[in-house]
Amino acid sequence: MAYTYLISGATSDVGRALIERLLKDAPEGTLVLAQGCGDVDKLAPLCQAYPGMIRPFDVDLSDPYKVDTFCQVLASTCPAPTHFIHLPALPVVNTKFKAFDEPRFAKDMEIQVHSAVKLCKAVLPAMTKAKFGRILFIQTSYTLGAPPKNTAAYVMAKQALGGLCKSLAVEYARFGITVNCVAPSMMETHFLKDTPDLIVQASAADNPMGRNATPADVVPAMAFLLSDEAGFITGVTLPVTGGSALA
Amino acid sequence: MTEQAILDAVQEIFRDNFDDDTLVITRSTCADDIEDWDSLEQINLLTAIEKKFSIKFKLADVRDLKNVGDLLDLVARMTA
Repeated sequence: MAYTYLISGATSDVGRALIERLLKDAPEGTLVLAQGCGDVDKLAPLCQAYPGMIRPFDVDLSDPYKVDTFCQVLASTCPAPTHFIHLPALPVVNTKFKAFDEPRFAKDMEIQVHSAVKLCKAVLPAMTKAKFGRILFIQTSYTLGAPPKNTAAYVMAKQALGGLCKSLAVEYARFGITVNCVAPSMMETHFLKDTPDLIVQASAADNPMGRNATPADVVPAMAFLLSDEAGFITGVTLPVTGGSALA
Repeated sequence: MTEQAILDAVQEIFRDNFDDDTLVITRSTCADDIEDWDSLEQINLLTAIEKKFSIKFKLADVRDLKNVGDLLDLVARMTA
């Protein structure tokens, strides 16, 4: 069956790897509605590889009015998404609480959490009617057990997504809709551009597998939770950590 | 740059990192002497030192540092 995937944060390294995974050997009619912000050109190679299967949208998710407009555009011009994957976040910064940046935190909450709420409200009615849907958030292993110090803003936003996931999971389970999270440990992507190299190297050295995660580690876990056969799994956070954080 | 100048700059970084304007470090100061000095704080210190001195540490260079003296020597070598 041809599905319609709405992916926010689709221009990220994980987003692009996920698109590749979802569209490889996908049936005709499969469509990816791919949101990015100021960087949708990153989707050009995928658009060329999968002509007509990707519709890019350039939307600033930190602006709630633009998110509302995006929802309206989706409703009026696109098939209803069967799958919604929410990936966007501001890059994690290693900041002591005394230097907590409240405006940046508010912006991150808009991008990660408030936009998730609006987009879920937009996609859930059609999923409910169809008695089928998959929603997936990307969390972080920092939400498992004790978080590392100096990551309060990031951990709070990710915990909020975890709360949304669990709440929606129980509310929509009877409609055949699953809502889950993947929680990768430190993943070596462009997302770490503001993280000091020493932290990245130390994380890799401390990981039981001796390295950090990559999108290639995380995308298969995401694809599983999005699959038809994962239909009885909902409200979970799946750690993808090489053993560095255990649920 | 003299060792004293490096020590002064590193002391400022320690004071800021550990929120203690009266903190005085010496060559023999080590993690056992400062309650909050754990592995993450060590990385925060090193990251701040990298920025201050425009240098880049490798994990292998900093894993075996035993005290402030080792750290000062490393910075001195990298800024020489």
